[in-house]
Amino acid sequence: MTASFVALEDVCKIYNQGQPNQVRALHNINLVIAANSMVCLQGASGSGKSTLLSIIGCVFPPTSGRATIAGKALSRMPDRFLTIHRRNTIGFIFQHFNILPDLTVLENITLPLMPLGIGPGARKERAERLMEMLSIGHRSNFPARQISGGELQRVAIARALINDPPIVLADEPTAHLDHTLSLAFMEIMRELQRAGKTIILTSHDPLITQHPAVERIIAIEDGEIHVP
Amino acid sequence: MRPSLIFLVSLGLLALVDSALLLHHHAQKENAAADAGLLRMTAAGLGLSDLCLATEARYTRHPAVTDPIVPFMDHPGAFEHFPSGSFWARPSGPR
Amino acid sequence: MMSFARQANIIDYSLSSLWRRRFKSLGVMVVFAGVIFLLASFQMTTKALTNAASDILAFAPEITIQKMKAGRQESIPLEYKEKLAVILGIRAITPRIWGYYFNETSGANYTVLGLDPFSMPLGDQLGEAIDTGALPLDHEAVLGQGVFAELAGGGDAVIFSLFRPDLSLKTFSRAGVFKAETNILTYDTLFMNLDDARDLFSLPADMATDLCVTVANPNEVQTIAKKIAALLPDTRVVTRQQIQKTYQGVFGWRSGFASICLLTALAAFIIFAWDKASGLTPEERKEISILKIIGWQTSDVLTLRFWEGVTVSTVSFVVGYTLAYVHVSFFEASLFRPVLLGWSVLHPALRLVPSVELGETLLILCLTVVPYLAATIIPAWRAAIIPADSALN
Repeated sequence: MTASFVALEDVCKIYNQGQPNQVRALHNINLVIAANSMVCLQGASGSGKSTLLSIIGCVFPPTSGRATIAGKALSRMPDRFLTIHRRNTIGFIFQHFNILPDLTVLENITLPLMPLGIGPGARKERAERLMEMLSIGHRSNFPARQISGGELQRVAIARALINDPPIVLADEPTAHLDHTLSLAFMEIMRELQRAGKTIILTSHDPLITQHPAVERIIAIEDGEIHVP
Repeated sequence: MRPSLIFLVSLGLLALVDSALLLHHHAQKENAAADAGLLRMTAAGLGLSDLCLATEARYTRHPAVTDPIVPFMDHPGAFEHFPSGSFWARPSGPR
Repeated sequence: MMSFARQANIIDYSLSSLWRRRFKSLGVMVVFAGVIFLLASFQMTTKALTNAASDILAFAPEITIQKMKAGRQESIPLEYKEKLAVILGIRAITPRIWGYYFNETSGANYTVLGLDPFSMPLGDQLGEAIDTGALPLDHEAVLGQGVFAELAGGGDAVIFSLFRPDLSLKTFSRAGVFKAETNILTYDTLFMNLDDARDLFSLPADMATDLCVTVANPNEVQTIAKKIAALLPDTRVVTRQQIQKTYQGVFGWRSGFASICLLTALAAFIIFAWDKASGLTPEERKEISILKIIGWQTSDVLTLRFWEGVTVSTVSFVVGYTLAYVHVSFFEASLFRPVLLGWSVLHPALRLVPSVELGETLLILCLTVVPYLAATIIPAWRAAIIPADSALN
């Protein structure tokens, strides 16, 4: 494990380059996030926060500059390898959870394992350990549409962790949770950090930004990192 | 049981049904081959020129052995390209 | 092995997603199987019929001579037989009297055949085709199964009567009944002596319906037919080859007509499949973007769609084809009989042996499964390239 787990150097991202609707989303971003830390990205909508999250999450490479995530440079990495790198490195927790409502909890959690060719027995075993840890084991065979919001998020966390990725990305994780559930979520994140994961959050929620476990706030404005 | 296995088993069952039908098909073919000699003999012995399928259409029962104009004779408006049954219901008179 | 396990997982997922949308999937499969069913049973029926017909027509009379007057066929004088004696190569000339007898009570048409079988090829073996009894003597007739069933009314009557044109009755006794195996040729037939047939139809003593000519050397049929036509200018000389051609023409016309109807159904189905497959609902878009961001490759998504298409089309094809076989073999192609055959008061039980040939099966496969897969995979490509980051918004 390297000291700088996420390293961005002069990273720019331009959408629709060379076309009339060209948009410059990120401009000369320099950012280093150490392994095993917990940071929070902050920024209004349209600030480039989502784009930054996508680059850190290995969804697409930057237009220019160097982005090194967990020891691998993303630039000019073909889509296929980007996907492999993403599923080995990143666990996503989405703002709207993005759980498929018609699948059961177990099926949702093991979804990332399907293209890896892991058999049903091994998938279930892995998922059960996580569901036990997140106390949703009793929901295993419920369709996702039938469970509560707090449980849904735990399903999302379990799915993010199923491949045991070193980095967990959570996009506005508390936006749809009440106070108690939000605190419980942060506790889980703290546990994960203790277990050696790097946690990257985005949020406006003071409960997160002022949480003692969050080591650093990175503010983004107009595609650049804002230094207060 | 995983879905792919269930699917495979169902396909296997279907294949079983189909093999049974295939056996039936072969048995039927052999029967038909056994009858073929008898049919050829009958056709040759009676000088028949058609199958007894549609007995209502003269030209169909013996297409080449009646007038070539038969198909155009029976109805002022319609060509008799089909046996009558394709256009009219069968007679409902006394049976 | 790795790749096999991956495929198995993706197949699992595609099956369970088909199951989740079971009403939609089932709808597509029912329509799909229906199209296959129609195409396959139609093709099996026409093939079986034409095979049977061409097999039998190979034994139709080599040459038939008909007298023509004003463009219509009329009775031929027996003296024409003598005129042909000068032509070498003719083995036998058999005068026949045949025609249709309309049974007013049942509404059925019988085919009455009067001839001396011993002058026909294979005629001396004709007795083998008769179930009980023997070849007809004077005032006797051999009945087809259908005629027997109607005239004897289910009993085993031996004596029965038919009307002459002047409504006087002519009485026959039953010499025998044709075997059920020959139903497809003899079901509507009354077979009797030349003289009895002449009496029944009240034809003059020196007339027959037509003359069947048997030729010594089959290669000379055309030459001899030409010679006959030159010698008897007021006749039409029909060769076996022409009979076969006409027959194929009649069936070709009808099966062509039905084929066009079926092709329309096929085209409608492909449009329907395209429509079903290409319209991506927002839910489907979302599902794909989620799968992609959590680590499914574009190729995994395509594989998923491919297996969905293969499952739907395989099951539909096998079910449709199986049902078609059952339909033709066990239900005598009852859906197509009206189109292919029309009605008849006398219908022999059509014991069809459906034609199942690899080439034909593959043709139907190519006409249905391939367009369906194309119609589902191509739009899936569009779906698979949905960017993963759309799950983030």
